[in-house]
Amino acid sequence: MDINSRPVVVKRMPERLNSRTAREFLRDVRPFLSADRPQLVFDLSIVAQIDASGVEMLLKCMSEAHKRDGDVKLASLSDQAAVVLELTRTERLFEIYETSTEAARSFSGFLPNAMRQQLLHNKRSTHPLAA
Amino acid sequence: MDIRGLLLANSEHEIAGDQAFDVPLATLDVAGKSTLQRMAERLQQYGISQISAVVESTAPSGIRNFGLPSDVACVSAAPERFWKTAESAFNDMAQSGAELVILVRLGAYAEADFEKLVQFHIDRKERVTRMASDEQMLEIFCISASRRNDAASLFRTQLAHCRSECPAFQHDGYLNPLATARDLRQFAIDILTRHAQTCPAGKEIKPGVWTAPGAMIEKGARVLAPAFVGSLARIRSGAVITRCSSVERHAEVDCGTVIENSTVLPFSYVGAGLDLAHSIAGMGRIVNLHRDVTVEIVDPKLVGSMSVASGKRFVTSAAEALTYLPKLAFQGIFAAKKAEKADLHTTLRKTSPALGSAAGFETSACDTEASHKFPNMVVARRYGHQ
Repeated sequence: MDINSRPVVVKRMPERLNSRTAREFLRDVRPFLSADRPQLVFDLSIVAQIDASGVEMLLKCMSEAHKRDGDVKLASLSDQAAVVLELTRTERLFEIYETSTEAARSFSGFLPNAMRQQLLHNKRSTHPLAA
Repeated sequence: MDIRGLLLANSEHEIAGDQAFDVPLATLDVAGKSTLQRMAERLQQYGISQISAVVESTAPSGIRNFGLPSDVACVSAAPERFWKTAESAFNDMAQSGAELVILVRLGAYAEADFEKLVQFHIDRKERVTRMASDEQMLEIFCISASRRNDAASLFRTQLAHCRSECPAFQHDGYLNPLATARDLRQFAIDILTRHAQTCPAGKEIKPGVWTAPGAMIEKGARVLAPAFVGSLARIRSGAVITRCSSVERHAEVDCGTVIENSTVLPFSYVGAGLDLAHSIAGMGRIVNLHRDVTVEIVDPKLVGSMSVASGKRFVTSAAEALTYLPKLAFQGIFAAKKAEKADLHTTLRKTSPALGSAAGFETSACDTEASHKFPNMVVARRYGHQ
């Protein structure tokens, strides 16, 4: 059973995230954000400098994704990015993962309860002894 | 007996790669005074009135005070000229009649008993006596001023070796190595929790809360013990200063910011609605001690600097005062509607006002199942006794 066939877009953020680069980045990801239920992962591993407009852009992306029932997750935060996100109290708003792979995988990891029970039921009916 | 003090402050002893700031740690304020000032005052307490200080500075050399008492002669020297300047300061003392020189390199801050050190030196008729704490040799010496060659050998090896044997005098009091930013933060904690003899430079307005003259704590701001607010520092409304935090002179903490177990360096600005924890902020950077990382902050809305020049600061605050009423009038005329007073639940759901148009972004973190069942329940952080 294919639970989640929608693509997960992984995007690496630039080294310096100021108002100009944030604008450019937002322009790049906008097509993905305007899709139905967008699933994005931002890789912040090379971010060395991030200012308020960079954080603002991240929040904007998350807000856009939420509007379309999607989500934006962060991965591989550099120390610099982590400190600024903590400072601005925004780290608690995002799901943050060690690696982009883990973040991408997490999109398919979530199953609503009803769907999980249905899967379990299917499994039991196909392998009655295993239950 | 003519005993004089010579204080040296440079950053060579600080651990390579861990030099978080461009100035020697000994010149940075901790609870109102720098280590250099504290050591000069300690020497004066022991009756050593003639004190000179040599401080490493990348600014053009000359005489600068570094906040030292007015009777302390202070010379700043470029890093490459530091040891030469120190040696000539020692020679000047010897020529002007000093019999003993207490040489302290900061470095480590030790609450040394100088009287016992001098007595030990005289009793044993030594040329140079060095202070030690357990196995660790400290850079505190008692030198007979007439032994210039011994002193010269010390200065030329950057206090590593002395040409004659150098017996150790054991120190058993408070000691902080002050080699890293973490030590600097620990020093603030030790002062505020009274583990060190040295005190915060201010008045204890309530148990565990010290403020220096001119400190401004606005209505609605909370300063929870133990904490220190330096002279002319400003804590804006809604800010919380807690857990051994120290806001040094002329620093400003903007509205709604939480400073927890952190130091805000002199002339620094911390933006509105931020959460500074386990850090040292100032000089355009944050040293985060939990992550053990120094981060340059380029955005002055987050962490900025106030002008050191008092004239410039006066002009800035005058301009702010002049534009305050017109700004209010403008907002009154053009504002869409009167802003509603936010309750605690709403405030906790919003992000920092420093984030421009994304400020006040509503978090979904509070939208848990429990929050729907108990609409009046909020998850709030607890500070101190509250």
